Amino acid sequence: MSAIVVSRLRPGEGGALRLFASQEALLAFAIIGIAILVGFYNPRFLATRNLADIVLGNAYISVAAIGMSMVIVSGNIDISVGSLIGVLATISGSLAVAGVPIILVWLTPLVVGILVMMLQGAVIAYLRIPAIVVTLGMLSILKGGLISVTGGRWITDLPQSFHLADIELFGILPMPVLIMVAATILAALWMRYSASGRAIYATGGNAEAARLCGVSPQRTVVMVFALHGLFAGIAALLFATQLKVIQSTVPPNLELTVITAAVVGGVSILGGIGTVVGSTLAAVLIAEIASALVFINVSPYWIHAVQGALILVTVVADILRRRRRQVGG
Amino acid sequence: MAVLAPEVRSAAPRWLIRHETLLAAILVVALAILGLFNERFLTIDNLLNQGRLMTEVGLLALPMTFIIITGGIDLSVGSIVGLCAIMLGYSWKNLGFPLPLAIAFAIGVGGVAGFVNGLLITRVRVPPLIMTIATLALYRGLAEGISQARSVRNYPEWFFFTGQGEWLGVPVQLWILLVGIIVAGIALDRTTFGRTLYAIGNNETAARFSGLPVDRAKLVVYTLSGLAAGLSAWVLVSRVTTTRSDMGSGYELDVIAAVVLGGTSIFGGVGTIWGTVVGLVMIQLLKNGLALTGVKGDATIMVIGAVLIVSTLIASSLHGRREVAG
Amino acid sequence: MKQSMKHRMVKTAALVILGVAMAGGSAVAADKWDGGDDLPTSPLACDAGPAAAAAAKPYDGGQTTGAPNKAGKPITLVDVPKLIGIGYFNATSKGMRDAAKEIGNVKVTTDGPTEAKIDEQIKFIDNYITRGVDGILFAANDPVAIAPVLKKALSKGIHVVGYDANSQPDARQWFVNQAQFNGIAKAMVDAMAKEAGEDKGFAIVTSTFTTPNQARWIAEMSTYAAKCHPKLKWLETVEAQEDNVLSFNQATTLINKYGDKLSGLFGMTSVATPASAEAVTKAGQCGKLAVVGLATPNAMKPYVNGGCVKSVVLWNPVDLGYAATHVIRAVVDGKLKPGATSVDAGKLGKLNVINGSEILLGSPFIFTKDNIKDFDF
Repeated sequence: MSAIVVSRLRPGEGGALRLFASQEALLAFAIIGIAILVGFYNPRFLATRNLADIVLGNAYISVAAIGMSMVIVSGNIDISVGSLIGVLATISGSLAVAGVPIILVWLTPLVVGILVMMLQGAVIAYLRIPAIVVTLGMLSILKGGLISVTGGRWITDLPQSFHLADIELFGILPMPVLIMVAATILAALWMRYSASGRAIYATGGNAEAARLCGVSPQRTVVMVFALHGLFAGIAALLFATQLKVIQSTVPPNLELTVITAAVVGGVSILGGIGTVVGSTLAAVLIAEIASALVFINVSPYWIHAVQGALILVTVVADILRRRRRQVGG
Repeated sequence: MAVLAPEVRSAAPRWLIRHETLLAAILVVALAILGLFNERFLTIDNLLNQGRLMTEVGLLALPMTFIIITGGIDLSVGSIVGLCAIMLGYSWKNLGFPLPLAIAFAIGVGGVAGFVNGLLITRVRVPPLIMTIATLALYRGLAEGISQARSVRNYPEWFFFTGQGEWLGVPVQLWILLVGIIVAGIALDRTTFGRTLYAIGNNETAARFSGLPVDRAKLVVYTLSGLAAGLSAWVLVSRVTTTRSDMGSGYELDVIAAVVLGGTSIFGGVGTIWGTVVGLVMIQLLKNGLALTGVKGDATIMVIGAVLIVSTLIASSLHGRREVAG
Repeated sequence: MKQSMKHRMVKTAALVILGVAMAGGSAVAADKWDGGDDLPTSPLACDAGPAAAAAAKPYDGGQTTGAPNKAGKPITLVDVPKLIGIGYFNATSKGMRDAAKEIGNVKVTTDGPTEAKIDEQIKFIDNYITRGVDGILFAANDPVAIAPVLKKALSKGIHVVGYDANSQPDARQWFVNQAQFNGIAKAMVDAMAKEAGEDKGFAIVTSTFTTPNQARWIAEMSTYAAKCHPKLKWLETVEAQEDNVLSFNQATTLINKYGDKLSGLFGMTSVATPASAEAVTKAGQCGKLAVVGLATPNAMKPYVNGGCVKSVVLWNPVDLGYAATHVIRAVVDGKLKPGATSVDAGKLGKLNVINGSEILLGSPFIFTKDNIKDFDF
């Protein structure tokens, strides 16, 4: 593993641009290709409504994957994000039902998300506890805590103004899409061109070398987790404001889907490589495939197997491609 | 993971022994306190029962210790358990295998599943985390697809001996676990194989250049993980008398928690079977003790999460190890 | 370039494999919607008459060994539902607490796993056995897998009564059945035929294919529909676990996939039904696409009041929990013995014993615009 670090490409270099571009291009190609293929089989797949529903219903995963990508690029992982989103959704809904002003209802989950994640980041960075342990522990604390506090009561009677996800800017742009696209672009630009953004790549690539260059790995990790918390908060809002009922339980397997989106999007678990554009595209691809499988009548019993196989194939293809580049480049 | 020049660790350094001892001490204190609150907790009956219930996760924790020592991870173990459970039922009922053959077949399927993990990890160099996340989904999907959501029931009486029977007063599966612990412990501590694992975890490149069979060792541990999952599936099906495609889901986190709690470092190169056993027992008895004291399920989950973080914190500060963030 | 060629090869290979898998998958696609549990079904008569009383079956429940005599004395009970944290089991729990307060010498706690996993549920029950309770109320995640631990409870003198989701009969003393499987099936299919039309297409949103109750209901629905509404066309069944957002997404996908061919959605769980109703609302199909399902009233109020959903089929889960508590009290007091034909259940009056060791709560209850405001769970 350590031998590979030396030859890893850094962002901003010509070679790297091609590397990044190809994973995103592959994903975009896959998204369009699958749409066309399924469209032949059942033209209703290509109906605007359907395509819009695919994106809208899963925009929150894209947003959460942005933060997760950053975490993974920095060389860490987080499996508590699913539980956190459940908790933040419940907090938001409870405040709304209690009559708190809508702006506060939307801002509070962001703040709480940032604080909780920063705490984890600090424990990881300064107390030197591995990310998988901290986030595993936090997952349990959040999950159990949510049930303890809410007793499992669903939140109904949400005020109409709560539903952020239903808002359409200028009457045509749905908020979830707007937020998803804006967040992706902003995050991508920030990571590529700002000093603190590039510090994330540096920390993930070789923390010691980063330190010697004046980057503080600890501060970077805390910052990354704080941002992750912000995106988790936004994702929680999109998640909570879609429906009229908030289940105060943790959505099952959400963290796995988010990690999958980040990884399939090209973020390397070894750290140091990947972009958020890839993870957003990957999240869209995953949602598209889930819908496509229903449209082409794949027996429902085999859906998970196909999804798993897909992840595997994508990852193997990606690894092979990288190895080619390292050996040849 | 990005670590600069980690110190080469021997197989059983001083401080490691201290970590397990400290953990065991915490365990004893916790048990004593819980025992005070509820008189039924520290009875032979209850403790043996808990031993029975922790076998499925325990069997998985042994090869997981090996895997994490090499710096890898295996998140697919729960799904392999589900797949093996389904194959046990399917091969018996649908393919007509005699039941003993079906059991062996199921364990074999587990081995193959683990082997596939290991193969792609060593040959294609897929990072273990990714590989096993993918197979977590894939194997679970295979279990669902093959079983078509049907359960297999009505096994003959003798089949339940493994999961529900006793031998010399001790639950049968606990004997199996004990044998597993002894074998794993000896393998890790006293054989070249064990030392190879530590070397890989400490510094894989150096191990490779030293001529150690790194790829072969990794292949072996992932296959062992699959075999253990098959064994675990057999015990589980025998205990609950039916097969379901959702069996084993969530096990991976319980297993990793036990291993990490026991002092095995997620970065590799450090860990013992004894530590894993203490971690395993601690989590099981803690959950049991809290439940008996009247703490409800949701609060128990929180406590376990907190215990995990705090124990690792204590252990980590004891080592004073120089780890770089991330 | 060498890389992109190899990489393109891998990608092509992947798509080919995927294509084969999907083609193969569709060949295997379930073309019958029988719920998949291979048990016999018994559809009711097509007309709106009460079900003919089935021949009385001998008692087939389990028995406790060495249960202490606590007739008239205070008892502690534990309720272990399939999972905690959903409205339905919050409601049954409330019913139990109401009954406990009314009876006076009963204490009941609800505790269970946060996910519908049988293995977890078994461990919960096991712990309570060790702790020593007087009675266990349960709703099983799996009827066979739960049997060993329930039998263990019986052998330790602990009374065992099930509700909502049964276990093998010999693993519990009594089972309080909310409504017969075939009764629910009839109510659902009749409602769908009335609201969507006799010759229309429908789809089903369920939790998972392995959830026993749902599987039974679907099986009964399929035979009843074949018998009494043969022109109703089944299109597809999808799984949505017990997750709100997933149910919504699945329902939306179905609506998009079938377009006009879909005239009705069945929601098989208290999570799937409101989510399906929301999907129909968001798609602007209210009134054009019928939603019939099992759900708790609170979650459905916006849709029933808005006219999107005409009727919600359920029984009263509060009554279910209430009845179960009365039943177990009666067992402990010796007032309900094997062979009895009815039991006194407080304000619910006398409940009949059917199928040997089941106690029937009554007929399915239909929530409509007129009565839904009277309920709060």
